[in-house]
Amino acid sequence: MPKRGWLGCSFPILAGMLIVFLALFVVGFLSGPLGRSMFGDVLPNWLSVPRPDPKLPAETIFHLFGFPITNSIVAAWLTIVGLVGISFGVTRRIKLIPSRWQSALEFLLGWLLSFCQSVAGEKNGRRFFPIVTTIFLFVIMNAWLSLLPGFGSILVTGSEGVTVHLLRGANTDINLPLALALVSFVFVEYFGIRSRGFRYLGKFINVGQFFRSTGQLFRGRLKAGLSGLFTGFIDIFVGILETLSELVRIISFTFRLFGNMTAGEILLLIAAFLIPWVFALPFYGLELLIGFVQALIFSGLTLVFLTIAVTSHKVEAT
Amino acid sequence: MEPEVMKMLAIGLAVGLGMLGPGLGIGLIGYSAMQALGRNPEARGPIMTNMILSIAFAEAIGIYVLIVAIILAMIV
Repeated sequence: MPKRGWLGCSFPILAGMLIVFLALFVVGFLSGPLGRSMFGDVLPNWLSVPRPDPKLPAETIFHLFGFPITNSIVAAWLTIVGLVGISFGVTRRIKLIPSRWQSALEFLLGWLLSFCQSVAGEKNGRRFFPIVTTIFLFVIMNAWLSLLPGFGSILVTGSEGVTVHLLRGANTDINLPLALALVSFVFVEYFGIRSRGFRYLGKFINVGQFFRSTGQLFRGRLKAGLSGLFTGFIDIFVGILETLSELVRIISFTFRLFGNMTAGEILLLIAAFLIPWVFALPFYGLELLIGFVQALIFSGLTLVFLTIAVTSHKVEAT
Repeated sequence: MEPEVMKMLAIGLAVGLGMLGPGLGIGLIGYSAMQALGRNPEARGPIMTNMILSIAFAEAIGIYVLIVAIILAMIV
């Protein structure tokens, strides 16, 4: 058995890997802008890197029934096909002793179910599991698929004759995080109304105390009426604040996901531009982690707000 | 002052001043999480979960600043 050095490899293999890495680093350095500015004249022309040009709105590729289809929509379709394909393929033959793919999927779903139940309790966790898992899987697949080669490198002719990229990370188009935030908002309100009836809306329109105190004023009880009136005003104000905070939640969700993903995309573009091939490696790791964390945050916050909407105040007061 | 110079100044000031808050905030959250972990290493699960959640809230503010900077940079 050859002598084991670092990384578990024998010494010749380790030396070979280091030499390959150094060669990639040198070639990348020379072809990037740093090498070009230092040794500009002696380098051949084909050893250059084009300047990255991140555009914020997603570019249209073609039109379908009058709707402009952008490259981020195509990437979202790819995600959907991937997710549905994996789920469909694994669940065709479910066995009692699971195969590898089935046990991997079971592990993932079991972990997500235990996450939901740890935050929302046993029964509610099972009720909120579909929406939370859908949001989590969709966001994480979008984020991780956009790291594969092909995203941002395949060029096609766009709708106005401009060359555009065929695929772009779906989370970097602001419409997708907005759509997910709206879905989350609608589901929070729906579950709140379904669990507590229309009295759930009484959290936002809190005029009960106000009308009661005006009734007291009319019946001649001035002191109780006036203090009740003050409390009524404060209740109405708190109700307006609650409404505002629900609506601002949509914007906050949108910008959190969009900002993280766009910043990551621009970071990868710049890192790949400065020293190609080598410098972008740690940033890829960072992007993997950020994709996972952002998916967890989006679905976790949805879960927390769902739990708050469903719990009645009598339970919270204990 | 020319518009180009003003634009550069605005972007730099926005990002520089705006990232102070979230940076300090995340540092404070990490500090308290480390303290809690030191006192009670068995409660690692809930502490880490809540820490990640709080850091996401604080980081969102920094992302708003980034959006403003990107929008400013896109004005020609």
